[in-house]
Amino acid sequence: MDATILIFILIYLLTILVSATELAPLSVAALGGALLTAWFGIQYNVFTYEEALGFVDMRLLALLIGTMAVVEIAKRSGLFRVLALYAVKFSGGNPAKLFVSVCIVSAFVSMFLSDPMAMLLMAAATVTIAKLLKYDPTPYFLSATIMINLGGISTLIGSVSNMIIGMEANISFTEFINYLLVCEIMLWALTIFVLYMIFKPNLGEKKTLPEYKPLESITNKTLFYKSAFILFLLVFLFLTLENLGVGPEGVAIGCAILGLVLSKLDPAEIFRELDWETVFFIAGFMFIVGGLEKTQILTGISSWLFQMAEASSFNSTLVTLWFSGIASTVVSNTAIALTFAPMIGAHAFSGLNSSAVWSALILGTNLGGATTPFSGSVCVMAIGALRREGISVKFGDFAKVGLVTTIIQLSFSSLYLIVRFRLIGV
Amino acid sequence: MIKLAKIKKWFGSRKLKRERTYEEEKREFEMAMGKPFINIRIEMPEGFEELRAQFLNLQKDQRFLEEVKDLVKKRLTYEKHGLKPQP
Repeated sequence: MDATILIFILIYLLTILVSATELAPLSVAALGGALLTAWFGIQYNVFTYEEALGFVDMRLLALLIGTMAVVEIAKRSGLFRVLALYAVKFSGGNPAKLFVSVCIVSAFVSMFLSDPMAMLLMAAATVTIAKLLKYDPTPYFLSATIMINLGGISTLIGSVSNMIIGMEANISFTEFINYLLVCEIMLWALTIFVLYMIFKPNLGEKKTLPEYKPLESITNKTLFYKSAFILFLLVFLFLTLENLGVGPEGVAIGCAILGLVLSKLDPAEIFRELDWETVFFIAGFMFIVGGLEKTQILTGISSWLFQMAEASSFNSTLVTLWFSGIASTVVSNTAIALTFAPMIGAHAFSGLNSSAVWSALILGTNLGGATTPFSGSVCVMAIGALRREGISVKFGDFAKVGLVTTIIQLSFSSLYLIVRFRLIGV
Repeated sequence: MIKLAKIKKWFGSRKLKRERTYEEEKREFEMAMGKPFINIRIEMPEGFEELRAQFLNLQKDQRFLEEVKDLVKKRLTYEKHGLKPQP
């Protein structure tokens, strides 16, 4: 093997190792790896400085930053908190209803909020309600974690990995919904059922909920309605994108600017709260993957992987689903999406086969994220928040629930992909 | 030379920020679902510097807290009846 290829693979693996073990923040690990890739790449003439500038997809970063800004404004208005408060109120103190409500709202808010932000919100909601009603928060908490990981599979802005795959494969917002909405709804129902069966004995007894009005928690009603409007506008424009003649990044940045103007919030404060760590991690990691692409190693792995699937596009779809799903249980799903997307792009799938393989990657990268306590930042945060409340969850206890749900979700997704792309088509 | 302790502290600050956000979010839910509460910061009045310890003990003094609660009730009663609070 060429020495440069070996160096690039080592940089890639080292970055993965450092970020997975949290030896350094994700952004520092990826930017460090990008710096090494740039130095070795230019030094050994693998690529020129001008070529390296093209490794980072600015459209993806613009989409990410624009969406984050819109969501941050909505978060400040208390929009998502009100949703959680309504969900609790709807349950009327019935533990089964409360459990289902918490699960649905967790998945729904994570369609917009980043997974760690959704986790903080739902952790606070479940701990407060569990304390009020004297329930054990653990079943609610763990289920919320798994549902947050699941939420947003069928939208372009549902998760960072979706944005990466959507931009690489040019999948529009409506195509995401067309291919995956039915699957997502079914996965929600199936997962809630499985979680309910697991936790049923520990949900607690029916209690009387305190009287409260969710809307009273909103201190600035004008900001609340304005941010709800901007969020609605963002989704509406994504849906009608084809008629606008701009990419999703244009819509996201446009809505962010409109949001800042209408909300009259201090832009500096909004920008300070964005998840820059994820932005810089993606930028750095794109650079590392860009270097690997130049060595042709990704094309080689892609050919080998899909040859193993005996050149059948359908086997390739299932290989992609399970391979990316299992890989996402140990490595950040953002890194998996950034690595797999160019590999699939390098392989000339066409028409429906192409949609099937991309859908498999979207499902795989999303579903593997809540298998063990260390599968993703959401799981780490959930365990940390529980510990703060004096509750410790053993690795085995979390992994048992995480493994069962992940295997069921991946198996169901395999079935869905067979039915959706082989039997139904279109 | 880079001090490892400083780097560790820097890494740890990210965790602290998350914890702060979590506590703030929890407070918002407690305010909405449980009984609302307020925290008031009162500085020690000038001219009482020699009574620092007594001043600090007020926050644990049950009689004092009851007096403050009565003041709140009195103020809210005025608000309820649309009257101007008396000085």
